[in-house]
Amino acid sequence: MITSLAACGGNAQSGASSSPTEAGKETESVGAEAEKTGAPADGVDIDLTAMSGTMVYSEVLNMQKTPEAYEGKVVKMSGPFNVTDYNGKTYFACIIADATACCSTGIEFDLKGDHSYPEDYPAPQTEITVVGVFNTYMEGKSRYLQLKDAEMIA
Amino acid sequence: MSELFSTLSLYLSRSFVVNALIVGVLIALCSSLLGVTLVLKRYSFIGDGLSHVAFGAMAVAAVLGLTNNMPLVLTITVLCAVLLLRMGKNAKIKGDAAIAMISVGSLAIGYLLMNIFGTGSSNLSGDVCSTLFGSTSILTLSDFDVWMCIVLSVIVVLFFVLFYNKIFSVTFDESFARATGQRAGLYNLMIAIVIAVIIVVSMQLVGSLLISALVIFPALSAMRVFKSFKSVTVCAAIVSVFCALIGLLTSILAGTPVGSTIVAVDIVVFVIFFIIGAFTKGRKA
Repeated sequence: MITSLAACGGNAQSGASSSPTEAGKETESVGAEAEKTGAPADGVDIDLTAMSGTMVYSEVLNMQKTPEAYEGKVVKMSGPFNVTDYNGKTYFACIIADATACCSTGIEFDLKGDHSYPEDYPAPQTEITVVGVFNTYMEGKSRYLQLKDAEMIA
Repeated sequence: MSELFSTLSLYLSRSFVVNALIVGVLIALCSSLLGVTLVLKRYSFIGDGLSHVAFGAMAVAAVLGLTNNMPLVLTITVLCAVLLLRMGKNAKIKGDAAIAMISVGSLAIGYLLMNIFGTGSSNLSGDVCSTLFGSTSILTLSDFDVWMCIVLSVIVVLFFVLFYNKIFSVTFDESFARATGQRAGLYNLMIAIVIAVIIVVSMQLVGSLLISALVIFPALSAMRVFKSFKSVTVCAAIVSVFCALIGLLTSILAGTPVGSTIVAVDIVVFVIFFIIGAFTKGRKA
């Protein structure tokens, strides 16, 4: 069971206000092989900022379907910043929308080092660019996607 | 231009894009082969009706929490195709009324079930949107989906090649085919089953609301220029594959919705063929 942020209605904020569990989209892992993505010079394995909207959304959906294929890869993505409070914990995510403008999904990120909210973070819905290592973790019975050791570069 | 090619080259290095192109070409080929028969038999809307049935079946599969919904969706859609054909001949509710009834009924029940019982995700509108318009489902295929599509496509093409003469005769003059001892009912039934298979496979490419376009536009485009059954079928197949490829590549490069982009390319090609047809007809006259 894989869970990540997902929302609908053409408005990222609608899903952004939900907790990861509430807004989670469950998909089954089908066990794909790790893909050759080409490694750009800046060390980023998958640069979502250089892709079209359709490709970005498809890539993120594939990350949700086959996270094993992406584990350990350095991912760069941009989109509206999102904050979610759930069970006393605060989650930060970068949201992307699909080409039909009816859905949005996103990936949680965990910044490298010590940071406190709201001092070290931008206002919700601010356009951000994040680079981090793709990772999955278990919380309760659900598996979540995350960019760990992330850096907010814009 | 070189930037465009380098972007395309980067996208083509992703296995899910290659899978989408393979499945897209196969679906376009299969849908166009039977599209000619459907248009000539005035069955253009059976595709639309069956796609709504497939949507209802997908809703049932989602509610049941099936990871792989293809076998269930395929079975229900084939049964409805057979039912529609039988009802059309003998029942009190005939032809277009039966198609309309099953079509809207399935759509409504499917959406109702998804709302009442959920789909295993809270992203209900997204699931519905993706199923109806095929937003990115072809770009998120599993290996099983790809192989299933390849096998079903081979079956459809083999059926068309092996039964070409029978399909030809029941398409143009069913009464004559019956009078000459051919089992027109059986061939109609086989056509209905194959159409159901094509619809289920095609849903991943353009979504259930746009499938009819994939079936009828290539056939109608080819009919503007060519006149014989064989030439129309060959041209429809080429047009369909071309439109699917151009639509898919445009979609991933420009970031537009996959299904709508393919149908838009189909419409542009139809207009071009319409103009060519009008021009050549005018010269002959």
